[in-house]
Amino acid sequence: MLALAASAVAQTPLPWSDDDVTAIARHGPWPPSAPRDASNRVAGTQAAVVLGEHLFNERRLSADGAMSCASCHVAGRDWSDGRARAVGRGELDRRTPSLWNVGFAHWFGWDGAGDSLWSQSIRPILDPREMAGNAGRVADLLREDKALACGYERAFGHRPGGDDETLLIDAAKALAAFQATLVSPRTPFDAFRDALVAGDREAAARYPLAAQRGLKIFIEANCAACHFGPRFTNGEFGDVGIPFFTRPGEVDAGRLDGLAKLANSTFNLLGRHNDDASGASALRTRHVQRLHSNFGEFRVPSLRQLGSGPFMHNGHFATLEDVVKHYSDVSPDRLHSDALPLVRPLALTAEQSSDLVVFLRTLSVEVPPRPAPPPLCP
Amino acid sequence: MRLLAGLLALVIALPAWADCPLDLGRGTGLVIFSSHYLVAFRPEPVRIEIGEPFSLLFNVCTKNDKPAELVAIDAQMPEHKHGMNYRPTIVSLGEGRYRVDGMVFHMPGRWELAIDVRAGEESERLSHELVVK
Repeated sequence: MLALAASAVAQTPLPWSDDDVTAIARHGPWPPSAPRDASNRVAGTQAAVVLGEHLFNERRLSADGAMSCASCHVAGRDWSDGRARAVGRGELDRRTPSLWNVGFAHWFGWDGAGDSLWSQSIRPILDPREMAGNAGRVADLLREDKALACGYERAFGHRPGGDDETLLIDAAKALAAFQATLVSPRTPFDAFRDALVAGDREAAARYPLAAQRGLKIFIEANCAACHFGPRFTNGEFGDVGIPFFTRPGEVDAGRLDGLAKLANSTFNLLGRHNDDASGASALRTRHVQRLHSNFGEFRVPSLRQLGSGPFMHNGHFATLEDVVKHYSDVSPDRLHSDALPLVRPLALTAEQSSDLVVFLRTLSVEVPPRPAPPPLCP
Repeated sequence: MRLLAGLLALVIALPAWADCPLDLGRGTGLVIFSSHYLVAFRPEPVRIEIGEPFSLLFNVCTKNDKPAELVAIDAQMPEHKHGMNYRPTIVSLGEGRYRVDGMVFHMPGRWELAIDVRAGEESERLSHELVVK
């Protein structure tokens, strides 16, 4: 053990230019300040977080009582399910997205059809392909289940009254309050980043050389154009050359359809359920534009706590190695760009590919099992 | 500071446009001009963050002191030939001043602002490059 520890600090960090250090510094610090959603009046309140976690695990929200949010967003699987494509009442067209750091996002779902975490939380409850629930079922549960009614009263300050839709929205806001607490832990990369910024060469040298080489590739390939900032995502959308077809003759239009759904949603931030009187939280929704180029674009995922795969919006790649191979070999013709393409074949050697994978794996750590949520009304 | 120095130098160099107020309220800003127009602007907040909405405050002037207006604004990344994912809106604040809301630069790199201005029947597009990191 001592020998291992000694070898871990014996190496020398790679030479990093000032520009490199600046680029690396932008991926931290981690964790950031807790997210705050002005559109959700119970965001950040402990009672709503507890209620939200209970609702997250509540199978009675679904039509047949067989499915909860946690059925697909499994804590022990980085809040996804390890499947290429999600399974609701049948197989769906996209992978279950991880919920790590979801509270920091501004668009939700692979197509960004949701503009708030609470509105996004409504979608699977009502979707006939997923939980197939309805507002009346959710409202009845909150009114009639003593523990949930008590948890609701603690979170919202009054008994669960009002119409069914109002209670559905409130349930979604409690669900969002809980999900916003799912902030991924610090990683070996974060220790390296902080050491580099602080000029602590000894601490920086503990970061594996292969990971450092992979990080250099990440910087030189300009991956941060999309995988930007502390979350390693700019939160927007891109087409990186993954096939559009969901089955013969059918395509997933991605962001193009997502924006149409957003505009038609009565739960978007321009609607009456937004708790933010200032209107500032609706700025993106007010100004976002739907472009033909949005066809086939999907949300840029965070690279933190990537999980063990499959990867991409539709689980197209089984392993991280497959993902790196894609970026190494991707066909420029498929991306039909007439400018400097954001995604271009990196033509990596086997060693470079391996280094890039090692780097990406340092953005994750083992997470201890999640304890059961505290009782609603002890 | 460099921007402020540039702005001051421009005011000194162009006494004919000295009536065009270039200070947009925070003592700093960017100035671009053509043979007919002088446009001062600054972002709000002053530092543009990647992926975060920001506004632009404009003052649009003409060389011959005729009223001028801001007609449209857009931005794109010339290298990648893509624009913003957001459509900004322009609100006139009177006397050639404008507020543009809903700007978002969603990637780091070089962005080119396209600023369409008009005075009477004459219109012109001015451009300015910004590098955001």
